[in-house]
Amino acid sequence: MAVIVDDVTFGYHQRPVLQNVSFEIDQGRLAILLGRNGSGKSTLIKIIAGLLSAVSGTIRVMGRELKVLRSAERAKTIGYLPQFHQPVFQYSVEDVVLTGRVAYIWNAPGHSDRQIAQRALQTVGIEHLRDRPYTELSGGERQLVMFARVLAQEPDIILLDEPVSHLDLANQIQLLTMLKRMTQAGCTVLAALHDPNIASRFGDQFIFLKNSRIASPPNREFPWDSDFLSSIYSVQLETIRSNGKPLIFPVLENTQLPPGPKGPPSIDLTPS
Amino acid sequence: MERHHSSKAWAISLCILPVLVVLVSIFIGPSAEASPRAVFVWLISMATPGSHSHTQGMVETILLDVRLPRILLALVVGAALTASGSSLQALMRNPLVSPDILGLSSGAAFGAALSMSLHWMPLQPAAFLFGLLATALSTLMAGGRRGFSMTSLILAGVITSGIFTALLTIVQIYSDPFKLQTIVHWTMGNLHNASWSKLRSAGLPVLAGAAALMFLRWRLNAISMGDDEMRAVGLNPTREKILVLIPATLIASAAVAVAGIIGMIGLVVPHMIRMLIGPDNRKVLPVSLAFGGAFLVLVDDFARAITSFEVPVGIFTTLISGPIFFYLLKKHDAGFREN
Repeated sequence: MAVIVDDVTFGYHQRPVLQNVSFEIDQGRLAILLGRNGSGKSTLIKIIAGLLSAVSGTIRVMGRELKVLRSAERAKTIGYLPQFHQPVFQYSVEDVVLTGRVAYIWNAPGHSDRQIAQRALQTVGIEHLRDRPYTELSGGERQLVMFARVLAQEPDIILLDEPVSHLDLANQIQLLTMLKRMTQAGCTVLAALHDPNIASRFGDQFIFLKNSRIASPPNREFPWDSDFLSSIYSVQLETIRSNGKPLIFPVLENTQLPPGPKGPPSIDLTPS
Repeated sequence: MERHHSSKAWAISLCILPVLVVLVSIFIGPSAEASPRAVFVWLISMATPGSHSHTQGMVETILLDVRLPRILLALVVGAALTASGSSLQALMRNPLVSPDILGLSSGAAFGAALSMSLHWMPLQPAAFLFGLLATALSTLMAGGRRGFSMTSLILAGVITSGIFTALLTIVQIYSDPFKLQTIVHWTMGNLHNASWSKLRSAGLPVLAGAAALMFLRWRLNAISMGDDEMRAVGLNPTREKILVLIPATLIASAAVAVAGIIGMIGLVVPHMIRMLIGPDNRKVLPVSLAFGGAFLVLVDDFARAITSFEVPVGIFTTLISGPIFFYLLKKHDAGFREN
């Protein structure tokens, strides 16, 4: 097992964000985390990445307990791609990617580090951006640069928080295909995604979060049952099976959005 | 980005600049005896042994005991303030901070004044201690769970600076008139009573702090990406920040202890450098030391050459930095984005 999450609980000011969350991910698998905004996906990923520490429960990565890993060792094991990054200085793309090497070196990156950064840029397909100022890129391009930084870190496990949220459809599919290829090379990936259609095409394993808890689908082989998904996303969804893959779409007639975990207002979509 | 292609050439030429500036500055000064011609003759006679004449004793004294220590002190102080400013800006992800804006300079000035007036502690340790205290105060005041916001950090610096300026005034009130004049002149940012002993006093801490920052300079790139991005690549944000804050405070405090508050250099010169060579701290830091030093020597040359009476160099730097900063803000985005 590459990742073992055992009975993890977390909360801000007594408001529970995660309650008794447990799951395991095999090495070389692409696991996808699904759930509504505020269901605890980002928090869970940050806890596994070591950015937050759980109130209780244990996490093991590549056979070692996360808590005992020193931060440099952790960075060599786990790479984390944040949801947004707000840059301040106009570093070149290459300089941003090179910062991924900081767990390996103290002073300055050498020739081999530059080669690793170059390879990361090639893998992500943004070699042409190498000398461009990072601040002048689009949100999606920046996301790809930060992903190249994660690759330059050479981790065994990659955690991604909504990695495709700023990408167009072609780039989404390209990034997920790349992740898939990396799992075939032995890397373990956990990604939070919004779209179950995209998720079902790429994932090996699916973890659902609802109201800060793990929700288990009635059919583990085909977790896309429309009633189950409707309860996860709090909207009426319909699933059609085509070639063993689901086709999921919302049913908009006579739908009232029930209040979610953060209590958004109900919107009446019935035509008047 | 055209300007990043030529950044290496720029960086190298900016590092050669201080040597030229020092050479030129030796010829500048108000003394009639040590005119440029007399300095030239003296330099020639130094190069040809056995031709030392009696009249050159005066020139030699002026050059070796007045001009050279002053030029070298300006070089050290300018280098220290600029390098401190560059590292603080990267560390706090905030291109608007500098030793003076954070309150560091006021804290160090208070410590130094305390030492001059009451002799509790030697000058340099007192300046460093209170400089560190001021930096800690403003960063703790501004820092939340998610790091510092740009505005809260500047506000906290304004408050810290105000507190230590008020305390400095109290020290001035309780000082005897003779010491008071020294303290007031020194506070304004002054190089006119430069001496070899002042150079020695500032030289060692600046050398040590600059060496530490030079060693850490590439890490500043990773540090300036933000707290979560630091953790993601295996850095402990608190540890890394302290590691940079200590030498950055040390060199700025040492400069303040010998030359008073020479404002704006730590803010404006790093901007000029980033505009010319880009923000990569591997280059920005050495260029800060070289170009920052050369910049203050040049400003001090003006202070010496333009007027027959001494205008404190701190007043000059503030006067010329204002328009430069205005120009930078309007012309370019000065190497950063606000949002």
